[in-house]
Amino acid sequence: MSGPVRPYVITGGRSRPSRNVLALESLVATVPGSAPEPGGLNREQQRILTICQELLSIAEIAAHLRLSLGVVKVLIGDLWDLGAVLVRPPVPQAERLPTTLLEEVLLGLRQLR
Amino acid sequence: MASANSAEPRPAYLPDTVQSAVKILVTGPFGVGKTTLVGSLSEIAPLRTEETMTVAGTDVDDLTGRPDKTTTTVALDFGRITLNSRLALYLFGTPGQQRFWPLWEDLSRGALGAIALVDARRIEESFDVLGQLEEQRIPFAVAVNTFPDSPDHPEDELRAALDLLPEVPILRCDARDRRASYDVLIDFVDHLHSTAVLELQR
Repeated sequence: MSGPVRPYVITGGRSRPSRNVLALESLVATVPGSAPEPGGLNREQQRILTICQELLSIAEIAAHLRLSLGVVKVLIGDLWDLGAVLVRPPVPQAERLPTTLLEEVLLGLRQLR
Repeated sequence: MASANSAEPRPAYLPDTVQSAVKILVTGPFGVGKTTLVGSLSEIAPLRTEETMTVAGTDVDDLTGRPDKTTTTVALDFGRITLNSRLALYLFGTPGQQRFWPLWEDLSRGALGAIALVDARRIEESFDVLGQLEEQRIPFAVAVNTFPDSPDHPEDELRAALDLLPEVPILRCDARDRRASYDVLIDFVDHLHSTAVLELQR
């Protein structure tokens, strides 16, 4: 059916992704040539693969496809498990507020101002 | 594999060289100017996404007669700045009302910090969100969004009224103005950097 369904119907009822490192700002891109058989994916997963042919964050994918963030995280976790997308996780918080990262942010902002 | 029936416009993609992204939250009460600030800073037209949240019916003041749990939808407006060829910054407008706090854990995880917008005409509406930032130990600065009829509170009065610790910066901005908004963001990241350097030296 193509009408509206409750949000988590398309994730098979799951509200948590298979990988818990996914954040709103995680960057996602389709792995070229790796697309699984389309029959094995639901419509929303195919839409994600289409829109992620270049790099976007999870939040952007959700906004463009008008899907809730939680649903997109679950679906991208599945696609990642299948090897269909590459995920660039956010900067790891090995130490709280690493100064070099903040310097890089500051420099970038000053150049753009 | 672009589908023939795809009506979606082509998104503004990040350069393929970008390796990672950081985020800063922009929070404050309803109507304080979060989306305006995000829009002034963002290189893309601000996007809106939604998250569903389960809440106890009794805590929701705008839904009546539902004693059981129910779901509510929270809209998040956000923007993006590509800082250099390797790093991107996302700015998430984050609702400051208490009933949205269940979402904060997920939203704030990994955030560099938060800019708490305050409307000088109604500072009491920011008390809850400032408490939440302190409780969640999220580094933050207060940015007083200037409206044409805003009273001009001296900083010490504002600091006392908002009960802020001395290390929390109070910045002023006009969220409609790109340069003023950039100055707030730069001052805040500069503050985070100075704090991080001090912590390293301890």
